Amino acid sequence: MAATAAEARFRIDYPDQTTRASRIIALDQQAADVVRRLSGQDWRGGRFLVFEDVLPVNGSGHDQVDATLRTADGSRTLLSKELEDADVAVAIATEHVRPEAAAVIGDACAARMIMSAGLILAGSEQPDEAVSALRPNAMVLLILQDENDIPPILTALRV
Amino acid sequence: MLKQEINELLTQTGPGTPMGDLFRQYWLPALLADELPDNDAPPVRVKLLSERLIAFRDSEGRYGLIDEFCAHRGVSLWFGRNEESGLRCAYHGWKYDVTGQCIEVPSEPDERHSSLCKKIKLKSYPLVKIGDVLWAYMGDPEKTPDLPEWEFATVPPEQTYTSKRWQECNWLQALEGGIDSSHVSWLHSGGLRDDPLFKGAQGNKYNLADRRPFFEVVEADGGLFIGARRNAEEGHYYWRITPWVMPNFTLIPPRGDYPIHGHFWVPIDDENCWTYSFDYHTVRPLTEAELQAMRDGHGVHNEYVPGTFRPLQNKDNDYMMDREAQKRGETYSGIKGIAMQDASLQESMGPIVDRTKEKLVSTDTGIIMARQKLWKAVEALRDEGVRPPGVDAEHHKVRSAAVVIPKDQAFIDASREALTVRPGVRHASV
Ligand code: FES
Ligand SMILES: [Fe+2]
Repeated sequence: MAATAAEARFRIDYPDQTTRASRIIALDQQAADVVRRLSGQDWRGGRFLVFEDVLPVNGSGHDQVDATLRTADGSRTLLSKELEDADVAVAIATEHVRPEAAAVIGDACAARMIMSAGLILAGSEQPDEAVSALRPNAMVLLILQDENDIPPILTALRV
Repeated sequence: MLKQEINELLTQTGPGTPMGDLFRQYWLPALLADELPDNDAPPVRVKLLSERLIAFRDSEGRYGLIDEFCAHRGVSLWFGRNEESGLRCAYHGWKYDVTGQCIEVPSEPDERHSSLCKKIKLKSYPLVKIGDVLWAYMGDPEKTPDLPEWEFATVPPEQTYTSKRWQECNWLQALEGGIDSSHVSWLHSGGLRDDPLFKGAQGNKYNLADRRPFFEVVEADGGLFIGARRNAEEGHYYWRITPWVMPNFTLIPPRGDYPIHGHFWVPIDDENCWTYSFDYHTVRPLTEAELQAMRDGHGVHNEYVPGTFRPLQNKDNDYMMDREAQKRGETYSGIKGIAMQDASLQESMGPIVDRTKEKLVSTDTGIIMARQKLWKAVEALRDEGVRPPGVDAEHHKVRSAAVVIPKDQAFIDASREALTVRPGVRHASV
């Protein structure tokens, strides 16, 4: 039987046992500005980060490359550390993205089976390079014209 | 997850609601042309955007869509007599033309008659036939947009077929099913193998080999393009591209040489909608076998409770759930037919699903973006009177596509032509 109107309005209320651990990572300078603005808002535990550099490390498998990131308060952290307990990673990029940044994040998420999404802000030019850099690695790519669309999207994803 | 206020805003379409005002900017499917087959055919009750209306076709073939209830004492004009260029109320004989203008009050003395008549006019909306559908515009007459130019409605009649069914849930829930490309690999997996309107296409093998597509969502002038890609031959992706034109039009990516399928999701009221389902071929007539399959309820169509637009499989009979077929692997959900597989699950959520309780994931991004665009269009219209995307007939000229392209190409660039209506040119489909 389909739910009645009253039943659809009333659902058993229970707290989210585990809050989702989201990492929002800016891949270039313009995206970093966006992330900085976002990080000032109220979120449900999401962490806002800025990609800094690729970091080659010794070893094999997905440990071969790592990356340094900056947190919202400016301290340095490692991609590998940030992804340890992450459920979802959202990369934010513009047409100025460095392809290797997209590749490192994408590979790291894929190797750890972390859900990944890419938000690409289209500027004056078509962000073709950013799109093809992110394409192999993000389960979802969203090409946006308007920065103001980002907060509701992140809210919907429970960041 | 959506805030309660926004869920209410997007799902309520009655007169005076913000979303209702948005819907009243567009030409909407009001009924099938077949429902008024001849001049002076019996009038048809039509409920749209929570307004109760009556549609009729007068002795000269003019279509009218007017208030269902007589101005005199509120009797339903469905009981009326459609005769001599007007619809006459069965109670005291008041008569109305297709514009809702009262043209006769037979109970009044002759002298009073004409002055009284002139002052009585029922609410009415323009109703026009394009293709197999009668379209209504329920907004401000001053802002009447150009007539719709959807390809399914403008190709020669032998190339197109449209059906409609009553769906017992809010329009947005139904629409969201239309842009949720990730459910196809699961819910509809059986149909790819045996539905007469899908099976055997080259593209199906990519679908069945790779059940977890990746998605790209790109904004378009009229709405969105949602691309789902799967691995194809070396160095290539198989892309299935779904256009959504605001607020309520979607196309399904085609398969092989089969016709393109698509939908309109039209609010009846806040807890019911009409699902219009159509199939059209861009360059050739539909074959007799295809038409028969459509009439039999295959593909996006369905069977009916005789004499109604209610699906034969409905919530009162649990959609004729067949657990054995499910076990044998013929259907994923146990429900027969693509249309009812979708409708059964969407109706099961309740008339208006509580979107504050969802747990959306990244593959729901198309839905998230569509809601965001609707919400922005509603605000822009309400606050600044901005004409929303999808009103302009240029926005109607989109196609869906199923293409194989090199991995490093953006589908939106590689398929720009394929996603645009080109009359006389076959649609892009593998
Ligand atoms: S109620 Fe219609 S004529 Fe009196
Ligand atoms: Fe479906």
